Amino acid sequence: MTRTLRLAFYYLVAMAAVIGLWWGASWLLETTREREILPSPWVTFRAAVANLGTLASAFGSSALRFLVALAVAFLLGLPLGLVVGFEPKLDRYLSPLIYLLYPMPPVALLLFLYLAFGLGEVVRLVVVVMALFFQVVVAAQGAAKYIVPSHVTSVRSAGATRWQIYRHVVLPATLPSVLTAARVSVGLGITMLYIAETKLGLLLGPGAGLGRFIEYYTFRGDISLAGVVGLALLGLLFYVVLELLERVLCRWKFVGARGGA
Amino acid sequence: MIEVDGLTLIYGRGGTAVPAVAGLSMVVDSYELVSVVGPSGCGKTTLLFALDGLLAPTAGRIRMHGEEVRGVRRDVALILQDAGLLPWKTVRANAELSLRIQGRKETAGKVLAELGLAGFEKRYPSELSEGMKRRVGIARALALQPRVMLMDEPTANLDSITREHIQNLILGLWWEMGFTGVLVTHDMEEAVFLGKRILVLSARPARVVEVIENPGMGEPGYRGTPEFVSQVAHLRQVLGGNGP
Repeated sequence: MTRTLRLAFYYLVAMAAVIGLWWGASWLLETTREREILPSPWVTFRAAVANLGTLASAFGSSALRFLVALAVAFLLGLPLGLVVGFEPKLDRYLSPLIYLLYPMPPVALLLFLYLAFGLGEVVRLVVVVMALFFQVVVAAQGAAKYIVPSHVTSVRSAGATRWQIYRHVVLPATLPSVLTAARVSVGLGITMLYIAETKLGLLLGPGAGLGRFIEYYTFRGDISLAGVVGLALLGLLFYVVLELLERVLCRWKFVGARGGA
Repeated sequence: MIEVDGLTLIYGRGGTAVPAVAGLSMVVDSYELVSVVGPSGCGKTTLLFALDGLLAPTAGRIRMHGEEVRGVRRDVALILQDAGLLPWKTVRANAELSLRIQGRKETAGKVLAELGLAGFEKRYPSELSEGMKRRVGIARALALQPRVMLMDEPTANLDSITREHIQNLILGLWWEMGFTGVLVTHDMEEAVFLGKRILVLSARPARVVEVIENPGMGEPGYRGTPEFVSQVAHLRQVLGGNGP
């Protein structure tokens, strides 16, 4: 518990530091340019409170959208990555394909995605899923490739089926790397979410997502900046959730050598 | 009883083929504990994997209790060199892993207690000492109540005190449970301490070059007797004449 409290304290200190820097930048810009450029934290906070309902709705919509995209990316990417990494034959045939598609930014395909899926919810999800999917695939594949052979032998010698090898060895062995990769790709995912909600959310109201909220209030710096803060908090939320998930699902990673004879 | 007849195992194909075992024949009687020694990299582990049904012979055949081995058998347990514990499973889950894979409902609680691991069931392997890890590996094999135990260097990389503990444990279990055992080792004292007969393998590709009878094995205090010392010296001489 004290560990969690200490961690929360560090986050608070970090937040205070960010707010301090923000204040400094806002003040510096205002004094050098002689007009308000970057709204100060206080002004932004007031704008957030004044638009709390819309902001909360935008945050909720974005969070739900990101959660669904993350879940879909995991459900599709994890099995594919594990199979490609663990089965040398599939690795030979499918890896070049994955490496070819992996660096392709879904943003570059927005027009085709729009034409294919229209301007509904599906297309926004597709853009975020595409970005996260490859991160999960590549992480799972890399981890599955380097599984300790004796771990596989120990279950094979008990007569394990292919499915049992995946269940008892491949999945648990790779989960920490995959969750770390997912955590690292939260930043990319949030960027894609923002793009999906602005470029492919033109017909929506400001409460339909943080990207849309920011775009809708483009000419109200204080309000749109409140949306940016919302995006940062959304990223932080998923980062923390994924870290907690790793602590629960990969408990073995967090126990130290306590010894014994 | 284990009968191996003209066993040949070749890794790979064509120009890159590596013969690991060539025309190896051996017999292990029921309830006999046999140790297998040979120069490092000679194919000892490969032989053990073939006995376990993990590797299919390129030529020759292996029979266990009169039946030809065609894949992993439920009455055979394998103890791996580093115990092969899964770091993400607790001691209990590791000990019961083979049982669960075979869809068996028994628990390993009693075996763990017998091996001095009571109270550690919920720990993870990273929280255990090396000696404890090996005991969990042994517990996993014992939980299956196997007729045949295959052991791949069960005491490799252990300090000498822990090594002797584990060797005494294996001997005690063999007396108590009466399994048929094949123990692969590169430790000459271990081979003499735990082998009723000692099979000496050649450098790769492996075949049996000498069988040393070791009738004193299992006698109380055998480790300290002149007979033990002379058997180790003899084995050292045999291996010395067979490459590194």
